[in-house]
Amino acid sequence: MAKILVIADIKQGVLKGSTAELLSKAKAIGAETAVVAIGSNIESLTSDLAAAGSDTQYIADDVSLELFSAGPFASCVVDAANQFEADMIWFGFSETGKAVAPRVAAQLSCACATEITDVTLNDEQIEVIRPATANKVIQRIKVNTKQVVAVVRAGAFEADPDIIGTQNLVKLSAPAPDLKAVIKELISDASGEIDLADADIVISVGRGAKDQAGIDLVKELADDLAAGFGSSRAMVDGGLMAHNKQVGQTGKIVAPTLYMAIGISGAIQHLAGMNGSKTILAVNKDPEAPIFNVADYGIVGDLFEVVPILREEIKKLRNLG
Amino acid sequence: MKILTTVKKVVDVELNIHVENGAIVEDGLQYVINAWDENAVEATVQLKENNGAQTTLVSIGGPDNTDIIRRCYAMGIEDAIHIDDPALEKADSYVYANVLQKVYEQGEYDLIITGKQAQDTDNGQTGIILAECLKIPCVSNVVAMEVMDDQHIKVSRLGDAGTEIIELELPALVTVTDSINEPRLPAMRGIMMAKKKKINVMDLAGLGTSFEEVGGADLKSEIAEYMTSETRQAGQKFEGDAKEITAQVVNLLATEAKVL
Repeated sequence: MAKILVIADIKQGVLKGSTAELLSKAKAIGAETAVVAIGSNIESLTSDLAAAGSDTQYIADDVSLELFSAGPFASCVVDAANQFEADMIWFGFSETGKAVAPRVAAQLSCACATEITDVTLNDEQIEVIRPATANKVIQRIKVNTKQVVAVVRAGAFEADPDIIGTQNLVKLSAPAPDLKAVIKELISDASGEIDLADADIVISVGRGAKDQAGIDLVKELADDLAAGFGSSRAMVDGGLMAHNKQVGQTGKIVAPTLYMAIGISGAIQHLAGMNGSKTILAVNKDPEAPIFNVADYGIVGDLFEVVPILREEIKKLRNLG
Repeated sequence: MKILTTVKKVVDVELNIHVENGAIVEDGLQYVINAWDENAVEATVQLKENNGAQTTLVSIGGPDNTDIIRRCYAMGIEDAIHIDDPALEKADSYVYANVLQKVYEQGEYDLIITGKQAQDTDNGQTGIILAECLKIPCVSNVVAMEVMDDQHIKVSRLGDAGTEIIELELPALVTVTDSINEPRLPAMRGIMMAKKKKINVMDLAGLGTSFEEVGGADLKSEIAEYMTSETRQAGQKFEGDAKEITAQVVNLLATEAKVL
């Protein structure tokens, strides 16, 4: 039986949904599962990790691991992978995954595949499927090594609440800190914000919003819906939105149930970050904007006029429900 | 400070890409400098201008990489190494990293700057694997960078919990994202000068290595085939009275798409 090690995605002490998604998929393809969780004060998550579908929980819990540092983080993953004798090592889609996966692969001297959407295993031959070139093509990749490290694309796998694991805690010792890359400070994202990666609804704002007043208008809609609030690259480059809000090929990749692109023209790099969404709504003044080519529903109109009506209509609908 | 900056030539993602019989149709494709590598070049030139640095570019690819190398010269890069070897056509991230390791070891560099990923593969692995091979510290997804002293730089990285401020001991490697800067448009004078500059072209033997030594005969993974990406179809587009069409769309989101 293949052994799959999943790296737990923990943010502010909470286990994120991607961990259960990956573990569900691992069990669904018949693998033996383990999870590795790395951080400070996280041992209490052991039962959550088992409930998410893992049969062994490798936990590295140490104050030195409170802030992310790629070197020590990779050491913990390699330690767990070696103890578990993992065939596959899966990260959920995150900056942590993108930074650590190639390191782990290099240390294990095995293949690495990022942003995978599917995986197959036949007679020890592993193959993965992944989009490339800003989602314009799909690659089928043959893995030539016995092991593979993979970063799974957001929304690729679904969590099955019926799939659960068993509790079997293995404590990992904390690795030495990386003295050559020392994290001096963490400027936290505003607390209480809805995580783009987890949100059911994501609303992104683009150049059409023009300025802070336009952004505030769209943000109110996001607040009404408890939606994640994202941005096109243009707004980030213009200094109007924070870097960590950027949805696109180089920013966040999201796959919510509903994605609203408000005042976003739809550059290919932006589309690459959101075209896995279930339903897409676009609001844009320009009827020729490329965003309408991928939108399930398009409203041609000025967002300053449309957004207040959207809020009002959605409120009406919710009051009825 | 000696900086080594990596630059790849990639397919232009703005144009349509067609797949036939498991392969990308070459006809009609155009190739450009990888956008994030252009940010890496700009970051390099800014360090040279602000702090003084020796700048060297390395690019792996066929003879037609010359145009992007000259563009980087015009932006302010001083020297270029062009690894042109047909054997490298099917290289994976490890092979690239192994070749770059050879280049690095011949130059005594203090800092390597790469783009965070290449637009053609979207892998984002080569830089990080290179740092692992060299056993030097590495920070990816960098959005700001400054020199502290001869041995240290300070970088800002966009991480999952926020912006991390990290002090790096040199030699080190950073991969940069497009938020770090706005690459300059080369001036005409720079473009003219760049035409005359020498490019140091070599194959693997010239670099003192071989296809086997860089792992070319022993790929850890390979692309079995390309497939067409499932493209979304344009849905319903509404024009007219804002109040009317917005109400209509909200209704459809609730009753048809069932997402509200």
